[in-house]
Amino acid sequence: MGMSGSKCQPLRSISIQREPANGAKSHRLIHRISDPAFLTAEHKIVEQEIEQILHQAKSELQSVSQTAQIQALSVQYLGRKGLVTQYLRNISQLPPEQRPMAGKRANEIKMILEEALQKALLEIETRLATEDVGIDVSLPGRTVFQGTLHPITRITRQICEIFTAMGFDIAEGPEVELDHYNFESLNIPKNHPARDMQDTFYVSESIVLRTHTSPIQVRYMEKHAPPVKIIAPGKVYRCDSDITHTPMFHQVEGLVVGESISFGDLKGILTAFVHQMFDDQTSLRFRPSFFPFTEPSAEVDILCVMCRGKGCRVCKQTGWLEVLGSGMVHPAVFENVGYDTSRYSGFAFGMGIERIAMLKFGIDDIRKYYENDIRFLKQF
Amino acid sequence: MKISLNWLKSYVPIQMDVDALADALTMAGLEVEALVDRYEYLKNVVVGRVIGITSHPNSDKLRCCVVDSGKAHVAVVCGAPNVQIDCLTALALPGTQLPDGPLIEAGVIRGAGSEGMLCSEGELGLGPDHSGIMILDASLMVGDSLATALSLSDWVLEIGLTPNRSDCLSLIGIAREVAAIQGNSLSYPVIKLPQGKGDIHQMTSVSILAPGHCPRYAARILTGAGVQPSPFWLQDRLISVGIRPVNNVVDITNFVMMETGQPLHAFDFDRLAGQRIVVRTAAAGESFITIDHKSRTLTADMLMICDGEKPVAVAGVMGGCNSEIEADTQSILIESACFEPAGIRKTAKYFGLNTDASHRFERGVDPEGAVFAVDRAAALMVDICGGILVEGLIDERPIIQKRQPLVFSADAANRLLGTQIDSADMDRMLESVGFTVEPMNPDQRKVTPPSFRVDVSRPVDLVEEIARISGYDRIPTTFPVISAGSTRSTPSQSPREQILRLMTGLGFSETITYSFVHPSSCNYLRLEPGDLRMRALGVLNPLSEDQAIMRTSLIPGMLETVHRNFSMQSRNLKLFEAGNVFISNGQDALPDEIEMLCGLWTGARQEVSWHMPDTACDFYDIKGVVESLLAALHIHHARFSRDTAQSCSYLKPGYASGIQCNGQVVGHIGQMHSETLEYFNIKQAIYVFELDIRKLFAAVPNFQQAAAIPRYPAVARDITLILPKALESGQIIEMVQAMRDPIVERILLFDVFEGGHLPSDKKSLSFRLIYRSAAGTLEDEAVNTHHRGISDKLIQHFDAKLP
Ligand SMILES: [Zn+2]
Repeated sequence: MGMSGSKCQPLRSISIQREPANGAKSHRLIHRISDPAFLTAEHKIVEQEIEQILHQAKSELQSVSQTAQIQALSVQYLGRKGLVTQYLRNISQLPPEQRPMAGKRANEIKMILEEALQKALLEIETRLATEDVGIDVSLPGRTVFQGTLHPITRITRQICEIFTAMGFDIAEGPEVELDHYNFESLNIPKNHPARDMQDTFYVSESIVLRTHTSPIQVRYMEKHAPPVKIIAPGKVYRCDSDITHTPMFHQVEGLVVGESISFGDLKGILTAFVHQMFDDQTSLRFRPSFFPFTEPSAEVDILCVMCRGKGCRVCKQTGWLEVLGSGMVHPAVFENVGYDTSRYSGFAFGMGIERIAMLKFGIDDIRKYYENDIRFLKQF
Repeated sequence: MKISLNWLKSYVPIQMDVDALADALTMAGLEVEALVDRYEYLKNVVVGRVIGITSHPNSDKLRCCVVDSGKAHVAVVCGAPNVQIDCLTALALPGTQLPDGPLIEAGVIRGAGSEGMLCSEGELGLGPDHSGIMILDASLMVGDSLATALSLSDWVLEIGLTPNRSDCLSLIGIAREVAAIQGNSLSYPVIKLPQGKGDIHQMTSVSILAPGHCPRYAARILTGAGVQPSPFWLQDRLISVGIRPVNNVVDITNFVMMETGQPLHAFDFDRLAGQRIVVRTAAAGESFITIDHKSRTLTADMLMICDGEKPVAVAGVMGGCNSEIEADTQSILIESACFEPAGIRKTAKYFGLNTDASHRFERGVDPEGAVFAVDRAAALMVDICGGILVEGLIDERPIIQKRQPLVFSADAANRLLGTQIDSADMDRMLESVGFTVEPMNPDQRKVTPPSFRVDVSRPVDLVEEIARISGYDRIPTTFPVISAGSTRSTPSQSPREQILRLMTGLGFSETITYSFVHPSSCNYLRLEPGDLRMRALGVLNPLSEDQAIMRTSLIPGMLETVHRNFSMQSRNLKLFEAGNVFISNGQDALPDEIEMLCGLWTGARQEVSWHMPDTACDFYDIKGVVESLLAALHIHHARFSRDTAQSCSYLKPGYASGIQCNGQVVGHIGQMHSETLEYFNIKQAIYVFELDIRKLFAAVPNFQQAAAIPRYPAVARDITLILPKALESGQIIEMVQAMRDPIVERILLFDVFEGGHLPSDKKSLSFRLIYRSAAGTLEDEAVNTHHRGISDKLIQHFDAKLP
């Protein structure tokens, strides 16, 4: 299969090049006009010569088969130094009575030749077009491989986009955190059973790997006065490892504080979120729960996205999936950051990103996220 | 916690089916995690009729029976003395798992085929009798399942209690919630204590030396009791909630704990030195043997129950061997106490124990429940263990905390919830779960929580009760009215987002690896002692050694990933990770968290294709990635040079460079050192770069006004120089740039040649200089003058030769 570039020239609209791009001269044609002085100004032309030129051009044309030859002929006869052009230029050498006729005839011949060349070119290109089988368009192109984002990043981004569209700012905080921010300021004192809810990695007595993104709430409130409307994504750590737990995972935390923020608003925001994250048909169920830093607290279940509530393995036959923890910010937390609890109220919520990614992508083993098998990563 | 529905029914009539009950409890905040049919194990046990009995060919004790199972005639080998022709009995078919017994399978018993088992009520866990097979009422239907025939039905609800609801760690606690849901009332067990003998106060005393740790200690004494296995009904109750029966005394304490939530402990009174109880903290270093026969060393702040001489129990956690109830125990002291939660938790944690008692004490028990529980246990012991009650009750109570009423505003509650619940409805709801409500005005009331609700301490806790009881689903869904966020951050413009976009665009796939790595990682990277990345932060309680320190570089995690992929035959990898590394400031201070980007390329330059030869990537591929990244961020004139590769101990010498922007090193790039790769068992060349994202973005220029597009043509002139091999081409380009010739628009390197006619220590570099003036078309002569000037300077400065 010839893949040379010359064959895939597009059919151009017919335009006869008067000047070869490279200035090449067609010596072959010059020799047919026997007198080398022909092209010079001193050459004494005779009237019949133009007929001879026409005749010669026509016979030349009969043997051409390439567009390049046509172009060469065009230059040879009609170019700036072409035979017809020269003839016209030298017409003044003829006797005055011959000049009008000779001029007219020469111009006619110029037209005839132009047309003949056009026609010949068209014929050649038509012929070439029918002969050309083209290229193998099914051959793979020269792709530029696009990399992929980790599924966790994709879901985090999607969550953040939904909330930023609702006017939330993004906040961040350290992954290695003071016990104070991770627990105490969130109303989880030392030696409180609520600490059992989160198996903690300790760095020292007073420093932990954050077990949730909630300390970001506190750090943010310490620096900003209400109203507050933030979303805080990040890595969190708990010492737990099995098919549904990895010692490191990701959460997104949300916090809204203002005057007269209610539990109804919490339901509103989370419903809007779930409908955008999944779809409008995904109903939500809020049920009482306990988090030390919220009161009242609610666990948020969504209708199982796998079975639509009929009951399946993913939802353990309950028809519901637990995806979010939430609640109204506990007054103790506000007191810790110096917010006026008589004036402000707010709600907070948090979700595990791995869990949502599992539902969105149908991933059954959480450990896959951190094995980074390229065959897994390239799917996202 | 497990709750048996049948047991629950003894405190409250249940008006709904078990699924509805489970749902209602879940929606009231007591999440039912599982609902288990207690008699599931009987599903292959049927009523069978013995229709044939013959002697066993190889045994005198065994007999071969033919049993009509209702579907078939089943051969069963049976050793029970009471098997009779035509009797109805319990036939366990293959697949039945007997409680504490074998799995029934079809088989051969001493040469005779047996396709099931005839069972005693003991074997089936349905009664105490192990003496012979169950003889069933002749009116039952052969072939019916045994559970149906005997109307055996019970459900076990497994409730995942949140740590605040200690009041629900008992049957009565759950029954109270069920009663509130159904709007009916609870019937407490009736305690009938007989007239006792003697006087407890003459026999013993309780001294609380640590009142802060023990606000209440109640006790009763029985004498002449007989320790035996419990009656079947008691054992059955305990088994139904997952507690193993021990003996009647211990079983009664467990039963009452499950019933009331009050943990009890029974001491062998005769083994208490001085016949008295002292509640005090331990002497540090004292050792003590708990009933699990483990010797434990005590610390000074642990609360101990002692007799006149020595500790006899770790208060609220576990009793001691030296006073436990034994087969010959006759006198029993029943302890029903309240302990301070945090202290109990600390002790239990210290010993790694989580007992039913400590679990409850940690969460707080009802301080008013102690006497009821000790009376209930004493009455049961009199009944069951046949003891004689000693008259009187010990109730030491050094601290009585009176519950203060909370001032509750119905308006405030409605505001917080976004509801419009009538205040009278709220009162009713609170009263339904035991709160006392005393209206002050139409809006406010004084609300006193019941003693068992130790979790309720603020008005907002009452709001939760209202929300919970009225139902979260009845709270209207609204949208917050809040001044639109200032949206200080535009997430898509954050450095991290830009990095993600650019790196994926450059063909790299994102990885996320654990933030903790093996402590040897720093050595694997061959880091020098003074290197910042040697300052790793340790984790005190890692899950495994290879997760024991926080990473100081992304590279070890990346190499782990490479190794794992190689072992899966994926050998061509373009990966990146953006994440924090942690540089320790000592274990007692927060570390510096530095966000890094690491890119890695190994294997093929591109996928196998028809239009390109199959070639491996090299340094210039990864460098091209960094250059593209920098260009996309408008960082020009980044400098790459061997001189800046000092801290790249993990990179191959001579194949590494710093990445310098505006004079600051923002990262490193190069080929991985083979020694580092060996640690990760990698034998293929790996090219990496690591960039400090914050430093990188500090080098990003503020976008200035757009420059005019040049109007006049450019002129190109080339120069080829013969130079020492070791000279970096970057130096030539830097030098030309340093000349600041106004008509030099650009210099680019277009050819590198080594070998051929050149000496082995030389190379030839060909540069093209692009000249252009903003003022007009350049004349050849002018360009030639500039070009000659530049060439001469280069030749002179670098001692270069022309070809
Ligand atoms: Zn489902």
